[in-house]
Amino acid sequence: MGFEAYPTAFLFFIGAVLLPLIPKGTARGIYMLAIPVLAAALIWNAGFGNFAQVPFFGFDLELMRVDGLSRIFVLVFCLASFLGNMYAWHLRDTTQQVAALLYAGSAIGAALAGDLITLFFYWEGTAIASVFLIWARGTEGAFNTGMRYLIIQIGSGVILIAGVALYYHDTGSILFEKMTLGSLGTWLIFLSFGVKAAFPLLHNWLQDSYPAATVTGTVVLSAFTTKLAIYALARGFAGTEILIYIGVIMTLFPIFFAEIENDLRRVLAYSLNNQLGFMVVGIGIGTDMALNGTASHAFAHILYKALLFMSVGSVMFRTGTSKASELGGLYRTMPLTAMFCLVGAASISAFPLFSGFVTKSLVLGEAASAHYQWVWLALVFASAGVLSHSGIKIPFFMFFAHDSGLRPKEAPRHMLLSMGITAALCIYIGVFPQTLYAILPFEMGDYQPYTMGHVVGQLQLLLFALLAFGVLMRTGIHPPEIRAINLDTDWTYRKAAPSVVGLAARGIAIIWNTQITLLLNTFNRVVARLYHSHGPEGRTAREWPTGATVVAIAVLLAAAMVVNFV
Amino acid sequence: MSDHKTDPAKLPRLGRMLLWVDKPGSANKIFWALAAVCVVVFLLDFTYEKHAYFDFEHIPGFFAIYGFVMFTGLILTAKALRVLVKRPEDYYGNKAVDSEDYPEDQLEKVNHDGL
Repeated sequence: MGFEAYPTAFLFFIGAVLLPLIPKGTARGIYMLAIPVLAAALIWNAGFGNFAQVPFFGFDLELMRVDGLSRIFVLVFCLASFLGNMYAWHLRDTTQQVAALLYAGSAIGAALAGDLITLFFYWEGTAIASVFLIWARGTEGAFNTGMRYLIIQIGSGVILIAGVALYYHDTGSILFEKMTLGSLGTWLIFLSFGVKAAFPLLHNWLQDSYPAATVTGTVVLSAFTTKLAIYALARGFAGTEILIYIGVIMTLFPIFFAEIENDLRRVLAYSLNNQLGFMVVGIGIGTDMALNGTASHAFAHILYKALLFMSVGSVMFRTGTSKASELGGLYRTMPLTAMFCLVGAASISAFPLFSGFVTKSLVLGEAASAHYQWVWLALVFASAGVLSHSGIKIPFFMFFAHDSGLRPKEAPRHMLLSMGITAALCIYIGVFPQTLYAILPFEMGDYQPYTMGHVVGQLQLLLFALLAFGVLMRTGIHPPEIRAINLDTDWTYRKAAPSVVGLAARGIAIIWNTQITLLLNTFNRVVARLYHSHGPEGRTAREWPTGATVVAIAVLLAAAMVVNFV
Repeated sequence: MSDHKTDPAKLPRLGRMLLWVDKPGSANKIFWALAAVCVVVFLLDFTYEKHAYFDFEHIPGFFAIYGFVMFTGLILTAKALRVLVKRPEDYYGNKAVDSEDYPEDQLEKVNHDGL
């Protein structure tokens, strides 16, 4: 029995507990970097198998299921944790450091969970740990956003455990294996995964919360929750056809919103949503190659998305804003950050020799070979859309375009280092894809992303889209960056629901008041009428003086006498 | 921080090299260079045999046309969408992150010349 019998997640949890004992500064920085490195080494050397069974109220929990699918996700989670912690080297905030470790540990624990109950615990763990990265901003706006985030994330977990209970009732098993949609239980589990994966209409927590987190917190947030959901879908619902169509919608609608969004961290959140769509389509197709596409795209995506969030974060760290309308021309004084941002932009746009190219092509290739013509066309369109916001908008409006007059200093050295490493990885994967292909869940065969047709086709798509951008900018048709926000589904619970409740409250108040007034008026009228007729001044009172009674008695007496004597 | 007359000598070397992009006429040069590259990748379509899954992929420059048209369509649609969904920054009140400043004590705002 080796180290693999101890769940990798516990390493992070123990690390988080001991963290306050480590002096702040260099020692703690190294400590934060050592934990993910150690975890990755343990998983890498563990081999495949189920290593840790724990009895729990009559169930057998599987805490360490290492196989091809879980391993690649755990490895990239460790890598993301490492890079995020390096980026946050300057941080002296123990809360955020503990949260970052607990969050990474929960995500890794969930990816290694072999049963649904363990999955549930870690699923909620990611929700609770991550909200502190939003609250750490310390403003009232961040607190409110964090509450909304927490309600939705915890809600997802509650739906999950309800689904698991029904699923156990139906099947007698809690093993987390492939499921078929049909029973209420499986639908609930599917829905709970869908909330975290930001399915259309369930997506808005993502764009609401990520721009509200701290500079370093958003980098950490971007890696785990949604990719954990992708892993869970790939594990539980591979080959579920409805996912293809959900995925297509996910790739499409965010590109429109991203285009007109001003806050660049929110642009990246929409872009993240769009990238998840490609992964969800891969899961829906469900072939070995498509799942390889999803896993590899998740891997590459975590890196370039972190890189983009880091570059926007660096600019925010130096200028205090991430709004495109306030930025521009920063290449003068932040040229290295600009270069790293461009590498991230090229990677997400899937330019040849960058990471997105060698991973997204797997999903697109599988959609084509399965003859999903419209799906394929939509995905190609979405690829051009990625270029528009993440490829062009992020670097162009931040570092080039009009000169904002801001002359911030280049990002601190540790931020440059973590961006540099991430950028190098993006290029390395793009140039030597076989290294990544070797750790994918299924055999890749002799797949070759760099064919003439594929490279030329992709270059045509991207360069002509770029040309269209040039034309639109020169003609002034391209929408300008303006200070504004855009409505999305969060409007329903931030504006519509409160005003419906407000309206209902007012309506109920009106009805209540009217009824009360009516009732009181009726009562008053009755009293007044009674008073009018029976009060001291009333007619009845007036007509009953004592004299009248005497007269009446006299009349009666007279009548009786008349009757007697006549 | 708003100092338009920055001394180029004080900029980082890479930043100084990049100043070229803001010279008058540079934007034009970049645009036409891009257009030239576009022509080349369009013509490349005639140099190899395509292994396509769909018939329309055989149209010469299919990806080029599709990219250009769909990108333009995307921008125009987004512009129309903005008319519907755009709201002022303080739409959700002053207790939302969009209308509040990022806490200064978590930032390290420094100018490139240390000011």
